[in-house]
Amino acid sequence: MISVKDLTFVYEGARKAALSGVSMEIRQGGFVGVIGPSGAGKTTLLSCMNGIIPHHFKGDYYGSVKICGKDTFDCSLTELSLVAGTVFQDVDGMLINATVEDEVLYGLENFGLPKAEIAARLEEVLEEVGIAGLRRRSISTLSGGQKQKVAIAAVLALRPQILLLDEPTGELDPASSRLVFSLLKRLNRERGITVVAVEQKIMLLSEFASELAVMSEGRLEFFGPVREVLRHSEELEKIGVNCPRVVALSRELEKRGLTAGTLCVSVDEAEAEVRRVLEG
Amino acid sequence: MIRLERVCYRYEGSGAAVEDLSFEINRGEFAALLGENGAGKSTVAKLIDGLVKPASGTVTVAGLDTRKTKTSELAKRVGFLFQNPDRQICKNTVREELAFGLELRGLDRAAIDERVERTLRDFGFDGERGPFTLSRGERQRLALASIIAAEPEIMILDEPTTGLDYRECMRVMEAVKGLNENGATVLMICHDMEVVLDFARRALVLSKGRLIADGAARRIFRSACAMEKASLSPPQITQLSLRLGAGFEEADTVGELAEAIVKRRRAV
Repeated sequence: MISVKDLTFVYEGARKAALSGVSMEIRQGGFVGVIGPSGAGKTTLLSCMNGIIPHHFKGDYYGSVKICGKDTFDCSLTELSLVAGTVFQDVDGMLINATVEDEVLYGLENFGLPKAEIAARLEEVLEEVGIAGLRRRSISTLSGGQKQKVAIAAVLALRPQILLLDEPTGELDPASSRLVFSLLKRLNRERGITVVAVEQKIMLLSEFASELAVMSEGRLEFFGPVREVLRHSEELEKIGVNCPRVVALSRELEKRGLTAGTLCVSVDEAEAEVRRVLEG
Repeated sequence: MIRLERVCYRYEGSGAAVEDLSFEINRGEFAALLGENGAGKSTVAKLIDGLVKPASGTVTVAGLDTRKTKTSELAKRVGFLFQNPDRQICKNTVREELAFGLELRGLDRAAIDERVERTLRDFGFDGERGPFTLSRGERQRLALASIIAAEPEIMILDEPTTGLDYRECMRVMEAVKGLNENGATVLMICHDMEVVLDFARRALVLSKGRLIADGAARRIFRSACAMEKASLSPPQITQLSLRLGAGFEEADTVGELAEAIVKRRRAV
């Protein structure tokens, strides 16, 4: 679905590469969480997947990124935006219309879809994302979580196969953050949409993502199923990525000789493991 | 140090942001203000540093009634870290940024230079760097450093760790902890319950502009009613120890839970 090969990118005028030799294959229907310290290259990687690099931001570009078999270098941003929809970090900067309905319509009208098709997609997407009740609301009156949903709906209306999101819960409270990730998970599971989300909240990623990509200083340090990556918790902490506390607990119980190294990534798993330990 | 008595405040054209709110925070406390987006947390922060004045009730900060005191006067006592550091950074170099707040306070040149140098050293900043060439996390630390340089008695932090990676978050929080250990009173708005557990001793929970719980942070996390009402989940280890029940009431950290498990096994 997304194939990144030996990707190196140096922003114009920069001395250091923002990405160095990154290679990864993201399968169709994957849900990848991208995590890493500030300046690790997470947003740059996303920008290479949606074509903003090299089409908008210039620089030295080596390697390749293929989306559904097509090299992003050879596709226009318009073509790419129909396959891979992006929700940017600054959602307020992304929403430019007065009402929820207008925001969703904007992309559809720009792509010149027939009127009946536009109406049908609008209904469908508002329902899908659970914001039908907000249809005529002014965007300025929405909460952060609601705005994030509108941004996702506007992108989904174009029926992309891939959703790319840059810190979608950055300014949301815990309940709204979970709502956004639950929605992404549902779209991923029920509609088969491939999701790539840059996110700092490791607990959300360990609960909702199927794979983790850990970046540091422009390199992809780890990439694989969440549980496999979290096994490297000590190395992750050195990079500057924390792990869920239940992972630290698993490590502590192993260190004390109470378990044989079972890794728990959720509270449910940890509860079962602790009960086993208590029963001896 | 901070006292709110029956405070009400509403923004023009909308419902009450804060309703009949009363609480007191004593000198040297490290308290966290919790609640959903829109619960009124930022309004409380603005009421304390005088950016908004109560419609009714009284806000007293360091003995000063905020309605009778100029915001600039309050700013000498209260340091305020905005959620977005770019709202407060306004100078061309890190050194100028650090000096700016001190100049406004009317300190003499020698004192300003001494405090700026000390802060540069403590935070490891390059004084000649342009603030906007720093990463978001570094800018947050710079905003915090400029407040700390002014040695405020009270520090209000509005989501100080938003947008920061883990390492940056810890560096910012360690700096706040240091300030608190030196006697400053800290009130922090925070959505990250693990950070609250690690740093705050007291928690106040707001819901729809009202105070619904107030007490030791660890005790609040174990109050299912308050947490649910504010749509909050306790930190992971607290969730786990709540499920494990008797014998795990004091276990909120990894170390404490591991100890409790060992103890229980010995007892069996």
